[in-house]
Amino acid sequence: MSIPFPSLDYDPRVVWDYLFSPIILEGAQRTIVVALAAQALGVFMGVVSALMRMSKNPLLNVPANFYVWFFRGTPLLIQLLFWYIGVPQLFDNPELTRQLTSFRVAIFALGVNEGAYMTEIVRAGIESVEAGQMDAAKSVGMTYAMSMRRIILPQALRVVIPPTGNEFIAMLKNSSLAYAIGLMELLTASRAIYVRNLKTMELLTVASIWYLGMTTVFNVMQAELESRMAVGVRQGPPTLFGRLTEAFGAARTRFR
Amino acid sequence: MIRCEDVHKRFGKLDVLRGITFDVARGEVVVIIGPSGSGKTTLLRCINHLEAVDRGRIYVDGQPVGYREVKGKFVEKSEREVARMRASIGMVFQRFNLFPHLTALGNVVDAPIHVRKLKRAEAVKAGRAMLEKVGLGDKFDAYPAQLSGGQQQRVAIARALAMEPRVMLFDEPTSALDPELVGEVLEVMKSLAREGMTMIVVSHEMGFAREVADRMVLMDEGVIVEEGPPAQFFNHPRHERTKLFLSKIL
Repeated sequence: MSIPFPSLDYDPRVVWDYLFSPIILEGAQRTIVVALAAQALGVFMGVVSALMRMSKNPLLNVPANFYVWFFRGTPLLIQLLFWYIGVPQLFDNPELTRQLTSFRVAIFALGVNEGAYMTEIVRAGIESVEAGQMDAAKSVGMTYAMSMRRIILPQALRVVIPPTGNEFIAMLKNSSLAYAIGLMELLTASRAIYVRNLKTMELLTVASIWYLGMTTVFNVMQAELESRMAVGVRQGPPTLFGRLTEAFGAARTRFR
Repeated sequence: MIRCEDVHKRFGKLDVLRGITFDVARGEVVVIIGPSGSGKTTLLRCINHLEAVDRGRIYVDGQPVGYREVKGKFVEKSEREVARMRASIGMVFQRFNLFPHLTALGNVVDAPIHVRKLKRAEAVKAGRAMLEKVGLGDKFDAYPAQLSGGQQQRVAIARALAMEPRVMLFDEPTSALDPELVGEVLEVMKSLAREGMTMIVVSHEMGFAREVADRMVLMDEGVIVEEGPPAQFFNHPRHERTKLFLSKIL
């Protein structure tokens, strides 16, 4: 294989060599697992926090407001360092410090941070459901809790999914910040290699290809989920996948 | 069956209900008319405690709505108790408010299963019967978006009836419908009335009112101006306000 740009110190073969190496694969896997777990935690905390924020009870809405304000207002990097270094320092308990591994702390810190952003997304979703729905649910004897669970939140979901998809894509990339607390994720793995073989650009290319690959696969999955949720409602925007399958189906019938 | 005693309700600075005293007997069909802003919808919403009254009391079947009487004092009811009471008051809304993520059958059986704790098979059997009763036997699996306005409102009526309410409240049930679809909904309501259901209907459908109402009520600016049987109300109204309103809409 020839080098396309002889004047540049860039070797695509190195990219190919490391693209599927064990260290990179492990890093990529850890990135995905951390991102998924943190996003799940974030969604859960976002729903709880949104409901608390919407409550008229100050015991509920004040802590929720504080949570959103604080965790959106401080840098994620500082939050990661706080949970990993600051908390053990405060408690000075060797057992606790041992239990707080970078993996667990990364998921927790990323999740708690994400929850603050998800709060607003979920709240917007809930508020997008017509007021009449809650009236109707209550009028057949449902309590507020049951109405939320069975009627409002399922409808809010449709509005919540696109921005959440956005958030997850950001999460995949933000997970790289956890290198600061020693998590062996994708970026750390790439870095570990290029500090040894000095092929910085090539290894960053490897990492970028992986991030792009993950976000692309996720985009396709999200579009599929959205079209499935549009039961009996508006048609979603045409997706690449959708158009391909449609074209394929049309071609099949034409050439039968 | 329903008793309202000097009911007052204000929203911010606006006094919407200014002393409503009003009774509905079991099996009676009352039709409430009046200009917009007169408080008709608010009154209905106070009866099933979707709004809390500021002053006065409402009783449904002898039970005070929203409050329990404990040793002569009134104590606010818990949310669960209010929800339980609402289960026996059916309400039909102007904009239908069907649950879009459930089929017609789903809409009708959801509350019986989760609120009344019926077994699914039982609820589905009753639900199908209810949908057939309102003329939608072939639309069990249709989603609201696939139904016309008249069909949606009939599903909404079936949904309310599935909870076996003691009284049905209708808030301008045909106002949002195309004229051709109004008739099918009114037919369902008429047959309900003939079966002896206690109904309070806010509506401008005078033909319907003349046919099935036991009593007409005119509300304006938060008070009841006049009430009486349709014959007397339409042909010999006593108050100027009533005459004025009737002349505008008849």
